[in-house]
Amino acid sequence: MRTERRRVAITGLGMVTPVGNDVNTTWDALLCGRSGGAPITLFDASGFSTRIAAEVKEFRPTLFDDRKMLKFANRSHRFALEAAEQALGDAGIRPTVDDATRWGCAVGTGMMTADYEELALTHAHCGASGEIDTDKLLTDGPASDPLVFCRNHATEGLALLTRRFGIRGCATSVHTACASGGQALGTAMKLIRRGRVDRVLAGGFDSMISPVGIAGFCLLSAVSTDNDTPQRASRPFDATRNGFLPGEGAGFLVLEEWEMARARGARIYAELAGDGNSLSSYRITDSPPNGDGPIQSMRQALADAEISASQVDYINAHGTSTAMNDLSESAAIRAVFGEDVVRVSVSSTKSTMGHLIAAAGAVEGVVCALAIARGEMPINANYREPDPDCKLNLVVNEPRRQKVRVAMSNSFGFGGSNSCIVMRHPDEVDGLGAYGAPP
Amino acid sequence: MTRNKVLITGTGAVCAAGMHPREILDVVLAGRTAIAPIRQWDTSNWPTRVAGEIADLNPRALVPDRKLHKLIRRTDLVGLYAASQAIEHSGFVAWRDTLDPADFAQYNDRTGAMVGSGGGNFQSQYDFFPLMSAANGDMQTFGRDLADSVNPMWLLRTLPNNVLGHIGIQYNLKGTNACITNHSVGGMLAAIEAMEALRAGEADRIVAVGHDAPVEPQMLLCYHRVGLIASEALRPFDAARDGSLLGEGAGALMLETATSAAQRGAPIIGEVLGGGYVGEGLGPLSIREDGDGLARAIAMALEDAGLHPADVGMIVAHGNGTRRSDASEAAALRTVFGAGMPPVTGFKWAFGHLIAAAGIMDLVLALAALKANVVPGIATLRRLDEACADLRVSAQASVPRGNIALVLCRGFAGTNAAVLVRAAEP
Repeated sequence: MRTERRRVAITGLGMVTPVGNDVNTTWDALLCGRSGGAPITLFDASGFSTRIAAEVKEFRPTLFDDRKMLKFANRSHRFALEAAEQALGDAGIRPTVDDATRWGCAVGTGMMTADYEELALTHAHCGASGEIDTDKLLTDGPASDPLVFCRNHATEGLALLTRRFGIRGCATSVHTACASGGQALGTAMKLIRRGRVDRVLAGGFDSMISPVGIAGFCLLSAVSTDNDTPQRASRPFDATRNGFLPGEGAGFLVLEEWEMARARGARIYAELAGDGNSLSSYRITDSPPNGDGPIQSMRQALADAEISASQVDYINAHGTSTAMNDLSESAAIRAVFGEDVVRVSVSSTKSTMGHLIAAAGAVEGVVCALAIARGEMPINANYREPDPDCKLNLVVNEPRRQKVRVAMSNSFGFGGSNSCIVMRHPDEVDGLGAYGAPP
Repeated sequence: MTRNKVLITGTGAVCAAGMHPREILDVVLAGRTAIAPIRQWDTSNWPTRVAGEIADLNPRALVPDRKLHKLIRRTDLVGLYAASQAIEHSGFVAWRDTLDPADFAQYNDRTGAMVGSGGGNFQSQYDFFPLMSAANGDMQTFGRDLADSVNPMWLLRTLPNNVLGHIGIQYNLKGTNACITNHSVGGMLAAIEAMEALRAGEADRIVAVGHDAPVEPQMLLCYHRVGLIASEALRPFDAARDGSLLGEGAGALMLETATSAAQRGAPIIGEVLGGGYVGEGLGPLSIREDGDGLARAIAMALEDAGLHPADVGMIVAHGNGTRRSDASEAAALRTVFGAGMPPVTGFKWAFGHLIAAAGIMDLVLALAALKANVVPGIATLRRLDEACADLRVSAQASVPRGNIALVLCRGFAGTNAAVLVRAAEP
């Protein structure tokens, strides 16, 4: 049924992560497993069951310096604006007045909750009894401040990005918890395929390292409590894994219609070739042990890209380091790859940089593009004790250096959404006909 | 490029004006407004005191599974209710039950859900107030006593994508999915994304739902402080309009490919013909006076559907009642339709602005109005603003000039969306 489908090129990358405030620093850390885990410094976490996280360190917006706009931006928006500037600079192209309506923006937005400082002010003013006094709310500072309203709004990140870069085409924000970033990349790819726009600024951003954010995870016992060994706390697929390491940051990519990217001589990191989405519809926090759900998203992404499992050389796993995720994901990879499971290299970069929540899928999309472009696969750090239920060909100790023809990125979220993104090496695109064309 | 037709086989809606699309339309047609004094908290000292609350909202009537009630918020109750209504209306569940296990699993893998959600709220965070009072600024105490004070499921309750996750579990939906958190256009974008996914063959049927419950103290106050809330009534396009009013509710559409609908001989309610959305790129609250973004969204939707302005039988405007949005919306409609404007109406005056549910509710009601061959009047309209003079809006009902409706939706971040639907011939 499909004929002439437009191909999508990745031409620009940007990252702000717990292990580096740019692409190269982050990449170097991921190759050797230099962990971003450390005791929490953003607030006094001494009473919490989890007192460690992977914070973005020494962050100052350098490329993004619009002070007026920064007043409207919360911590995660600042990461986003910086990473987006990096990506556009890297691509060497920005929206202009003439082509602004042919640019889109698709983002995975983090949880929308007030900053703790603002909540504390509101509590002091009108909640000291433990209940909200709605009449006192009328004279509350944060509740009356339009800046606070904007900063906490679900579309604020999107609003700042489209304004900053003058993007006037399709603009959207998605949130499927930890699958958000992956779904944003899939959405962005489809906007170009459908011809709605020619270029998209796509990414994700999040920061939940706050008293309320960490409290939410602690209450669910979803996070590692290895408070004395923060750098070893995230150990995906290891038999002793005990929860994820909360992280924060942003990842952005510039996507372009393939022929337009070629025509302007852009450096193409990879083709964003396929997207698969499924719902596990099992439990809100888990997929089943047999991998049902993730299996479908991975198969869909491969089919969408017209790629067979035997062509995939690298999987950037969701690999959160929780007991259930890693078990379920391993089963899914085995089901999809069959005998090829012994060949395909797998790593979870969350082992090094922690779990960036709504930004995770976007940052890991950047990682896959780099793996293809540089022919290097980052390691699954902290892997010591094999789990017989998570038998995979993990990249351990040393990064693997080899041609990566196809890379796959998994992202699974609370709520049961599973996202899978597939990328193809530019060399592999040459010689392929149009999508859906007879071989 | 061939693409699948996208048919509508079920609808669902709930808001202050009723628990069902037809019931809500009847309230609108009767010229009654469901806007009433707020009951969730005492507003006697508040500068704004009315909204479209669902009176006596009964969680069990909306979501029978009581175990769920501790895991979800008010916004999720209405979303799950509307989504269930659309799914049950379409009748696919009973048909699916006749399939053998392999086909049953395959059917579920090809059934998706797209949701537009309002995102986070302020009220949930007050759950931390007792703990904060006990800790009295000491974070160590806050952390230590956390588990004794706050519901362990707190984070799950606040997830913006709860309707997606729970509707999936309830009906075993396992296909493509999205949760769109794009302010007022979220629900409508869910319908557009569902249309696109069905066209491209990514699924065979998708429930699209938008839901929101913005009537909470701090949210209402924020809208009021940025100058968007009306003093007493929502009067779209009226010379004396002074803002919008918040409402709570949800709308849902069961969308299917023609093949999927034909497979079980499903009754067809209508068809999604096309859609489009664009941003204005001006920041969170800015609106262009010339309505450029909305005009481009309409043009995109018409082109997508292969239609001309003359094919549009009625327009359901965003009509949120604020000075700037309505004036710029009128400007956009002038740009696209000129002298050939079909009758224009809007529904927010009757039950408030449902924010993330607004656009998809309007789609549901547009289909019901087309089926009844009526363009409902805007009962709160007293004197048309000169800036909106060439809009064919009226306080009285009229007759659509065809069975295609153009439905418009606008949101923060300057996002504008437009969708064209056709009602099935009676």
